[in-house]
Amino acid sequence: MSGFEWRLRGRAYTLGHDVPHPGVVIPQWLIAGRYLEPDELIPHLFEEIDPGFHKRAKPGDIIVAGRNFGMGPKMNGYVAMQALGLGLVSESMPFLGYRAAVGCGLRVLTDCPGVTEEAENGDDLEIDFITGDFINHTRGVTLQFPPVPEALREIIVLGGNKGWLKNWWHTNQHGTPSAR
Amino acid sequence: MAMTAVEKILAQACGSDRVRPGEIIVPDPEVIVIHDALVLPAKRELDSLGIDRLYDPDRVVVVTDHEVLYTSRRAAEIGATVREAVRDWKIENFYDVGAGGHGHIFLAERGIILPGMFVFDNDRHCTNHGSVGAFAMRAGGEITRVLATGTLWTKVPSTIRMTLHGTLRPGVFARDVGFKMACGLKAGGSYGVDIDYRVLELAGPGLDQFGWDGRVALTSSPTEVRAIGVFIPPSEEMLRQIRAVATRPFEPVFSDPDAEFEAELEMDLDDIEPQIALTGGAGNGVGISQLEGKPINHAFIGSCGSGKWQDLEIAANVLKGNHIAPGVRLFIVPGSEDSNKRLRKEGLLDVFYDAGALMLPPGCGPCNAGNMGPVHTGEVSISTAATNLLGVMGDKGCELLLASPATVAVSAIEGRVTDPRSNDAVLRFSEATRR
Repeated sequence: MSGFEWRLRGRAYTLGHDVPHPGVVIPQWLIAGRYLEPDELIPHLFEEIDPGFHKRAKPGDIIVAGRNFGMGPKMNGYVAMQALGLGLVSESMPFLGYRAAVGCGLRVLTDCPGVTEEAENGDDLEIDFITGDFINHTRGVTLQFPPVPEALREIIVLGGNKGWLKNWWHTNQHGTPSAR
Repeated sequence: MAMTAVEKILAQACGSDRVRPGEIIVPDPEVIVIHDALVLPAKRELDSLGIDRLYDPDRVVVVTDHEVLYTSRRAAEIGATVREAVRDWKIENFYDVGAGGHGHIFLAERGIILPGMFVFDNDRHCTNHGSVGAFAMRAGGEITRVLATGTLWTKVPSTIRMTLHGTLRPGVFARDVGFKMACGLKAGGSYGVDIDYRVLELAGPGLDQFGWDGRVALTSSPTEVRAIGVFIPPSEEMLRQIRAVATRPFEPVFSDPDAEFEAELEMDLDDIEPQIALTGGAGNGVGISQLEGKPINHAFIGSCGSGKWQDLEIAANVLKGNHIAPGVRLFIVPGSEDSNKRLRKEGLLDVFYDAGALMLPPGCGPCNAGNMGPVHTGEVSISTAATNLLGVMGDKGCELLLASPATVAVSAIEGRVTDPRSNDAVLRFSEATRR
């Protein structure tokens, strides 16, 4: 897993609790139309609450979300976040949404209670997704949250499900599959 | 260590002694189900990766239920891709158009999905299989990983147990109970629990009055408020019926007496009145008295929530010798080809046709995005669909009410929302089927 950047440093982009995927994270028509290509999705990320977000976002920026982020199993917004090089930290998200985010290769931490109290928009954040270290340089605060589980790290490093499957096929197609 | 039934099923599937809620696991399913609608994107994805064979094609079942009657050229194209995929992937267990019916209904009826079994299925309503004491988990688009590698990572859900007491009054049915459950379990509901990604296990003396058909109906609406499973421990009577159709040996699984549940809930069945779930969710149930008399245009009996024989039987009992009201269209969608055959044999098709109803082929029917028999803006639909999210069977200007098959059939005759307790055929049916 060498060369993969598990530590991100960038600005905080904060959201509240119960933020829905359709409408707020990404417009409903992109979800209904099953658009899954990053180029199609990126211009519309957070479009309905913050037009132009994608132009201001820089790789390493961290989305800090409250409880029940995404509110469902949809993945379209996570594709765009991953492609922009963003990270996501949430107080909680539905498991199927979390699995979709990991499946998109997004660096994501969940079950970080109270994290929305620990950052404001634009704060200078540094997150290590392997150790769970959460540093707010603006406030001079360091916290610890549950890291990305070991069993899921390979999926994220390989860019999500598709990359993982591609790698699995190249490794296993000549014999009985071992690591599944 | 004590475990719940679903924890035991998952532990078996992982080859472990035990699993704990919250643990990340990679369980081996005995059966993998993919429905027609998702075969096209799955085939494209695996083709693009060069993956041309499946981990174990014999475990995979392909069912055609979302679009059985092709109503567009796009649907015909999807159908052709399904057959191509089945050929390329060397799948024997393929149920083409007209061969099986609704995958969430006929796979258990034919003894393919059995008690104690762990299943991955792309579609979330696979929770239906909890009605026979199996545990099926939604894989969504990640069904590609299940097809290619035989499994998928997931998290062990915790289980909430609900104990049922009392007896349903005549004219009240399992779907009414499901709407009531969903209403209490949803976010902000009266039970005050978080049902998201939890298994709801049913228990208690009130469970005995529900046969196979009622048990299927009970699993539907909690799924709509995000339960990942609804587990119903199979009774002796259920096991007898299942053994008669089982395609292989099976071992039922039950929660240990001292298993830990995240929450223990109670429900009293004595005082439930027939429910109507208002547009937006199966958890929006209200007593039927609040809507009585509201004119309707569209009616539909079927879907994975009401796709069993008894759902058809009660509709036939109500419609016999009657005709639906002018301006109403009624669609009947059997859950399985086997039920369809039985309708012909028992002469019930004539009852439906004579009443002015339209028969659609077994499968999802209008519940799949209104591809068949949709609702127009400004119209009111009353149906037994699994879901009534805004715009799901037409555009956002439709009203989509959910109710039991008895309520839908009676309302179709009257042309307005009607309490099934006012109908003698319904009351006689309730008496005759009392367990």
